Amino acid sequence: MKSKFWQILAVLMVAAMILAACQPKETPTPAPPAQPTAAPVTPVSEIDCMGAQAGDVITMLYQWSGDEETKINTVLKPLVDACGLVIQPESTRDQALLDTKVQAGTPPDIAFWNVAQLVQYQDKLFAMDQLGAHGDSYADFFKSQGTVGGKWLGLPIKADVKTIIWYSPVIFELKGYTVPTTWAELDALVEKMVANGDVPWSMGMESGDATGWTGSDFIQDILLVQQGPEYVMDLISGEVAYNDAGVQQAYETYLKWAADAKYTVGGAQGTLSTGFNDAILKVFSDPPEAMMVKQSGFAGGTITGTYADLKYGTDYDFFPVPGAQGLQGGADWMMAFNDTPAVKALVAYLSSPLGGENWAKATFDLTPNKYGASAYTDPALLKKGQMLATTTGFTPDLGDTIPGGFGAAEWTAIVNTVNGQALKTNLDNVAKVQAEALAQ
Amino acid sequence: MAANAKVVPGVMRQKPLTPWLYLSPALIVMTIFIVYPGLRTLYLSFRNVDDTAWASQACRAGEPCWGIFENYRYALTSDVMQTSLLNNLIWIILMVSGTVLIGLLIATLADRVKYEPIAKAIIFLPMAISFVGAGVIWKFVYDYGSSQVQVGIVNAIITALGGKPIAFLTVPGLNTICLIVVGVWMWTGFCMTILAAALKNVPEEILEAARIDGANEWEVFWKIMVPMIAPTITVVITTMIINVLKVFDIVYVMTGGNYGTDVIANRMYFEMYKNFQTGRGTAIAIVLVVLIVPVMIMNLRRFREQEASR
Repeated sequence: MKSKFWQILAVLMVAAMILAACQPKETPTPAPPAQPTAAPVTPVSEIDCMGAQAGDVITMLYQWSGDEETKINTVLKPLVDACGLVIQPESTRDQALLDTKVQAGTPPDIAFWNVAQLVQYQDKLFAMDQLGAHGDSYADFFKSQGTVGGKWLGLPIKADVKTIIWYSPVIFELKGYTVPTTWAELDALVEKMVANGDVPWSMGMESGDATGWTGSDFIQDILLVQQGPEYVMDLISGEVAYNDAGVQQAYETYLKWAADAKYTVGGAQGTLSTGFNDAILKVFSDPPEAMMVKQSGFAGGTITGTYADLKYGTDYDFFPVPGAQGLQGGADWMMAFNDTPAVKALVAYLSSPLGGENWAKATFDLTPNKYGASAYTDPALLKKGQMLATTTGFTPDLGDTIPGGFGAAEWTAIVNTVNGQALKTNLDNVAKVQAEALAQ
Repeated sequence: MAANAKVVPGVMRQKPLTPWLYLSPALIVMTIFIVYPGLRTLYLSFRNVDDTAWASQACRAGEPCWGIFENYRYALTSDVMQTSLLNNLIWIILMVSGTVLIGLLIATLADRVKYEPIAKAIIFLPMAISFVGAGVIWKFVYDYGSSQVQVGIVNAIITALGGKPIAFLTVPGLNTICLIVVGVWMWTGFCMTILAAALKNVPEEILEAARIDGANEWEVFWKIMVPMIAPTITVVITTMIINVLKVFDIVYVMTGGNYGTDVIANRMYFEMYKNFQTGRGTAIAIVLVVLIVPVMIMNLRRFREQEASR
């Protein structure tokens, strides 16, 4: 009897598993389409519908979901209201979906994706100036990154900056430290902290199989300080090899701090073993374990997620990496696989001054659109927006941009050198992967 | 004969095609899920990064080149892969001997106590935890806190006794050993269960006879029990070697293959799904298969012998 029961249970479980396995794949989740309101509530004179009729449909594919989706809908609402467009978005993080749709000849009208897809689909995309984009809304370095083979194919639509250092203004004031404005001042500040018995940096970089990316962000910022954005772009194109003296110098600057317990929490082993989120929090714990942490914009959310009562501007704040020429950051790009009037209306709207302002007001990260720069309502975004508006260059993450395992090789080199291995051999290895990747 | 033939339905009579009929479901499933993917993997291992040309195209002037076997040059001679191969060897030596010896020890000792089921259940329990779960658990056990507070129990004990905390997972050499400990913790229960079952099959009379003839317990164990369960021990060893060659979860979760702890399976995953180097990933997969096949054949042969002797 008893064994019979277990047999039945086992059979049932197997059956349940098979059933579960046969469920259709959940991604992509079609997002609720933004419904056009019956009639335009307010006459919006600034929006040019480019001949689109009420009821025209735009299909889009993007990687945003949840809260981000609400924000993009907020940005698009004035256009939807004014022209009566119907937006049919699909949200997925799976690039294979985009690839499949394009190969099947049924691409979305608009895709918001990465800069690499501009190159991948250069023959299938419509040029932005043909679609009525306002080119003067964007800095030249943004336009040139979106230009492939002489054609401006991608509109930079959303950006975040990584070239920032987080600190606690209260602690700085208490200890008599001032925010540095040049690299030399930063260096002096770091030495002053060490002399005072404070640990200047929290550099933890542990992140599972992606351990090392925090270090690669830091090193790229040092490259921007010591060499400038042109040099970083040359690394991406392969004109400068990764074992160049400039890269070596940046690593040496980084390792001086990252592998020494005087400069960073826990020294080399602390850098390797501490999770990147824990590293952010160490600066804001009571008492703080370190004075500063270099991390992207998301760190603000990590801080308030754990220490909910900390206030931006007094308890936590950030300053740009001093002396950095140009910024490092990530951007989402809008690309058009179709040239219907509705698509033109969307391109014209998002690249217009109004589109930039509305993006900024929606608090959806940063807009590369110049006209958004002073429209941010969130103080942290306003500060980052000013950085983006006044910068002279914008470099994407090296590791994300060079294909064929370069990113992983770069992380390995960082992890190994922090762990005490020879710098030269490790950089040679990465240079080899870089050459292989760019030859393919 | 004739009378019998009437009773057996037509389809079940031995005709040349009948065995194939019975085999066909298995053959179809095997073809779709094993043979075809296997051949495709083999083919891809000779192709370049995105299957647009033969692997020899990736050769660069002034560097060694194995022609169409270029991906195998990477899989066998590159620094990262040599580290992985060496690590897998260390894993085999330490983990197989660890699990089998501890498993045998516990099986023998548990056989002589009243609370045998409880003792065995405790040892076997880790098998019920998923590998990823075990990896996460042990990551906490080994945690290295840079501050005064140690979250990891090992470092908490060390600092409580006045020692300095050790970064178990990032110090090269030590970290692989620490990962193997996790593997041993997980798999000892499996070895113990099988060996305990084999020990129970050793006839009591033989042991009795030996004791009467004056053999002490040590001699009984080494000269009677171990030889009698030798076939089972071999099967357990070979099964464990196959398991260890394929080890992935523990390394992936705990170190991500960093700090010199990389193993073959983790490297394969990285080349395939992180670096998108299909050619290299499949070449490593083939190398892994080639390493496993002899062990598997040995295992099967042993198994057959054992079945035959029953």
